[in-house]
Amino acid sequence: MTAFAETAPYRAAFDAQRRAGEPSWLADSRRAALARFEALGFPTRRSEDWRFTNLGPLRRANFAPAAQDAAASPDLARWLYPEKTHRLVLIDGRLVPALCDIGVLPRGVYLAGTEATLGQRPDLAKALLDETDRLGGQAFASLNAALFADGFVLTLEPGIVLERPVEIVHLGRAPQRSSQLRSLLRLGEGARATLIESFVGGTDHWTNAVTRIELAPGAALRHAKLQDEDKSAIHFAQARAVLEKATRYEAFVLNLGGGLARHEIAVNFAGEGAACGLFGASLLRGEQEATVATIVDHAAPGCTTREYFKTVVDERAHGVFLGRIAVRPEAQKTDANQLNKNLLLSPRATVDTKPELEIFADDVKCSHGATVGDLDETALFYLEARGIPPAEARRMLIEAFAAEAIEQIEDDAVLHAHLAKHVRRWLDRDEDEA
Amino acid sequence: MLEIKNLHAKIAEGREILKGIDLAVQPGEVHAIMGPNGSGKSTLAGILAGRPGYEVTEGTALYEGRDLLALSADQRARAGLFLAFQYPVEIPGVNNMYFLRAALNAVRRERGEAELDAGQFLKAVRAKLKELEIGDDLLQRGVNVGFSGGEKKRNEIFQMAMLEPKLAVLDETDSGLDIDALRLVANGINKLRSPQRAMVLITHYQRLLDYVEPDRVHVLSQGKIVMSGDKSLAAELEKRGYAMLGDAA
Repeated sequence: MTAFAETAPYRAAFDAQRRAGEPSWLADSRRAALARFEALGFPTRRSEDWRFTNLGPLRRANFAPAAQDAAASPDLARWLYPEKTHRLVLIDGRLVPALCDIGVLPRGVYLAGTEATLGQRPDLAKALLDETDRLGGQAFASLNAALFADGFVLTLEPGIVLERPVEIVHLGRAPQRSSQLRSLLRLGEGARATLIESFVGGTDHWTNAVTRIELAPGAALRHAKLQDEDKSAIHFAQARAVLEKATRYEAFVLNLGGGLARHEIAVNFAGEGAACGLFGASLLRGEQEATVATIVDHAAPGCTTREYFKTVVDERAHGVFLGRIAVRPEAQKTDANQLNKNLLLSPRATVDTKPELEIFADDVKCSHGATVGDLDETALFYLEARGIPPAEARRMLIEAFAAEAIEQIEDDAVLHAHLAKHVRRWLDRDEDEA
Repeated sequence: MLEIKNLHAKIAEGREILKGIDLAVQPGEVHAIMGPNGSGKSTLAGILAGRPGYEVTEGTALYEGRDLLALSADQRARAGLFLAFQYPVEIPGVNNMYFLRAALNAVRRERGEAELDAGQFLKAVRAKLKELEIGDDLLQRGVNVGFSGGEKKRNEIFQMAMLEPKLAVLDETDSGLDIDALRLVANGINKLRSPQRAMVLITHYQRLLDYVEPDRVHVLSQGKIVMSGDKSLAAELEKRGYAMLGDAA
């Protein structure tokens, strides 16, 4: 085995963790995962998936998992969802029961922390410890499987429709430490839910989240995520969704914060006639870098993929979009399209966009497109010619650019308004800093 | 209100388009500027409104005694100048109402008037729609997005009515309209005529002037005003065509 210097601190952190009382199968799983991480080391730019990523910030410190945080209650008000939710709050990757507001859950709904679940619901352990990272050479998913302390689990029995959204607020607080989050969403046949995740805080903190999503036939999940961490934060997140027949998975990522961020969404169509909508917007400035990587595997016929991602890049920031869609020979009648639109606001801002369609079926409809441009001069003049000052006109156009992505989410005015509010907060920050 | 003297202008790094325009417009007057394609009509409108891409090489333009050309486009608009665009711009993602409220409040701030909140604004919109006898179907859409040609021009007139400018320059507002849309737009223009407000109608055809009676008509050709007269000049042009300019052009 090759020894990588960068993995050594994580081996040390692993050895130092006290995990007394954990069952031996869990300890075995952790050890095996750590060995996979050590064998891989950090990804390098030689790897196609990491070609555009500067892992420098991650190498600057050893982000061992944070210890339990017993400090004062944080003020999370500005990030909370504007309507009543079933809310969990995690600090430094651990559930803090005193801050949660789960409310009354309907029968057939299970919502709890991952650590608690491993004790109470051994039936969910296998899915939680899912080792798909074995397949893809996913070093950070392996590390997560070795080091995770907590996360959240939501399961719905068949036919359950959860009216209120489930809200998960993740706060990173310990500097030079990491949150290793491992979570599971499992919806039974015909079940429906909305999940809103917010990642906040995170000064000099690394969040490494792995989420598994399983939708049984006919289930529908809307999964919105806001990443508004400090500009010194590192944020890696992988969501892996397995979609059975006639399911619908809709994901939205609003990336506003973090110095180095990467959102990876992998969708596996395992049954006919399922649909996914993967949408999002990244707004970047300063030295921020953010990657959205989607990997959609059409392994069943008649499934639909809609991807729509927008990036606004100012100053010296760097946006990356990697969009892979694979259509296997048996996946006839696949309907997939992908669009990535980028707005470059500064001569030193950069974007990399890489669509990748691998199509092995002949009766399919697949398309992709990417655009890179500046603000529309004629639109700016039109607004100014009505008396709107240039700075406000620019702001309106940037907001509108992001709004087009938000509006891809169907029929959810509260969620639209919530996300739009955070886009405006990002734009206000611009003026504060100027 | 508006006094243009010996105005020369060219397209940035391009050829000269305006070659010495003289024009004086008093409050309450409606002037029509007619002329063949390429005569410089839209350039004149663009320069008055502050559209980027032109360079004034000689001459002056005073608006209420101020140097108009020294003001930015948004300052001109807030000072009461309005350009109705020949090609109104589609702005996806910006709601028409949101846009118009931002514009109206920018203008009101300049005039020292209180900004309108959403409720007050809606009331003002409803009153204006009624006055102009137009529907509210365009309000909740993106600015000009997916509008027909007629709807776009109607939206321009509606914006003009909301912003209550002192000087309105309408750049080929009649082009591409069917007869019903033309009547609607002309009706809007007539309702907005007032002793305090001046209007400059730029048009290729005499058609609009059948509905909106101008005080003065000017003919622009090859970057110069070659003829001026009362409304009968428009009728004569209609009869004889721009060929009548002959040597004068």
